[in-house]
Amino acid sequence: MKLKPATLRTFTTLHSWMGLVAGFALFVAFYAGAITVFHQPLQQWATPRTAAIGSLDDAQHLLDDVLARYPEAREHVGMTFPGYELAQPTAYWQDHHGTWLFATPDHLAGNPTPPGASLPELINQLHYTLGIPVAGTWLMGVVSLLYGIALVSGFVIHLPRLVKDLFALRPGRNLKRFWQDAHNVIGVLSLPFHIVFAVTGALLCLMFVLMLALNPLIYDGKLMAASAAAMDTAPIVQKAGVARPLSPLASWHARSIEVARDQGIADFVPGYLKLAHAGDAHAVVEITGTAPRGLGGGAVALDATSGAVIATQLPGARDANHATLAAVYALHFGDYGNVAVQWLYFLLGLGGAFLFYSGNLLWIESRRKRRQPEQGRSSIIMARATVGICIGVCVAVSAAFVAAQLLPWLGWNAGAGERWACFGSWALCAIWASWRAPSRAAQELLWLAALVTALIPLAHGLATGWWFWRSAAAGHGALFAVDIGALALAIGFAALARATARRGRTGGTNSVWADQRR
Amino acid sequence: MWARAGAGVLPGFFLAAALIGLLGWLLPGPWESTMVASLAAFFPLWIGVICAAFRFSSGRRAWLWLGGLALLALGLLWLLQTSGWVR
Repeated sequence: MKLKPATLRTFTTLHSWMGLVAGFALFVAFYAGAITVFHQPLQQWATPRTAAIGSLDDAQHLLDDVLARYPEAREHVGMTFPGYELAQPTAYWQDHHGTWLFATPDHLAGNPTPPGASLPELINQLHYTLGIPVAGTWLMGVVSLLYGIALVSGFVIHLPRLVKDLFALRPGRNLKRFWQDAHNVIGVLSLPFHIVFAVTGALLCLMFVLMLALNPLIYDGKLMAASAAAMDTAPIVQKAGVARPLSPLASWHARSIEVARDQGIADFVPGYLKLAHAGDAHAVVEITGTAPRGLGGGAVALDATSGAVIATQLPGARDANHATLAAVYALHFGDYGNVAVQWLYFLLGLGGAFLFYSGNLLWIESRRKRRQPEQGRSSIIMARATVGICIGVCVAVSAAFVAAQLLPWLGWNAGAGERWACFGSWALCAIWASWRAPSRAAQELLWLAALVTALIPLAHGLATGWWFWRSAAAGHGALFAVDIGALALAIGFAALARATARRGRTGGTNSVWADQRR
Repeated sequence: MWARAGAGVLPGFFLAAALIGLLGWLLPGPWESTMVASLAAFFPLWIGVICAAFRFSSGRRAWLWLGGLALLALGLLWLLQTSGWVR
């Protein structure tokens, strides 16, 4: 396909600006996001002792206790079933200040700290906020939009050679072309994945802001009133003002599975419930669950006093709104299908991180002064930032993993310590990279990343006794996979460090990546 | 470049919103039944409009075209809504 040279120039400028503005945030989002795909195994890995899966009786006791103690929970309470995120059930509700409180069978008093290990949530926050409170979500929403623009512009620039160069990966003397080929082929082959993430990422971060903006503009002010019916399963009902006891929790659990089976979903697993107006005759419970063979799970709403079905939104039989919402969530979180889909998401996530990293390298390379050792200021700053932020975050994530194991072992609080380890090591890496020559800093930080990542299985074994061979022998797939995954990444970082050193020694001399001392 | 980017972002926002509104309200059935799909379609459409804005030969033309189209589409939507021809 032919394009006008002016159009091509405009879109090339647009593409590099988008990369410049959003590339770093996207690298962090993809690296942390790839790991967040495995948040459930990670939760097991970071929990000091493997607790037995709780029973529905435990859940019933927890619910009864929370409802008796806290009047706010009688209005609205949520609860995860045992084995959904954690082995034990967790109840959660908002007190009259609007603060979320959590209770588990072991800690019945409401506590603002969510139960379970804090490591998965730290990585998740890094993924969708960069660790910045409140405004981080909106920032990442805007970053998703810029990412969308970068995808369109990148696709347009590459369009004239797209088919011809699709499988071209030309190693050789022209290293820039090799990197460009790698950038292009990963970009084109994973384009559907990237489109999904640009769209769903923007939507998940900015949905509420968008609704506020579009409500008066195109929905005649009626959007907010309509959104509950479009997004929840249980209708909003008023209290009857007549007391009536709840039916047993186990009966809701069984009923939801039965209702799903009647609609042709044989593998519905209840995950969590939302209960409104407990103790009133109009008490409603909504049970949301997963159905691995469907795209996104579904929900069943029951009369919580009689168990009668009020409404259902299950795969194959939901309205357009619920089907769209389920698809958005499922496609973003990759929680449909089996573990193969999760590994695919993990690899595509790392591939995405490579896309932004290689984009930065190409930016530097295209501004390289080939006839003199001194490089432009902008190239050096870009090289420093790429090393400090991108390689730095790899060090930081691994440091948080190590801290999550070692701190509780030494008797310290893991939650706060992990954050310090993560953001502290990231800041130190950034300072280091802003001070050292880029080629040296890249090698040193890559070796550091390899070292800290290799410490992950070691820290896990030391702190819990679950060395990876023992996990493998005992059939603990999650524990084994996290440890082995860390070792594989450590080997990858070491290989990159060696390649960077080789580039410094033997590659072209007039570059920010050339060894300054030779 | 900046003027055209601005045209895509500002009047482009209103144009994308109006198109989503027209689609949602003109499709058969109540607009509520495609609400989430409309919201999901908004961002890709806006991104498309922003990218398309760079194909105008000047920033002035981009602002005039996108602004004019946005006003026209929003006007049409509000006319349809207030007259009760769509629901």
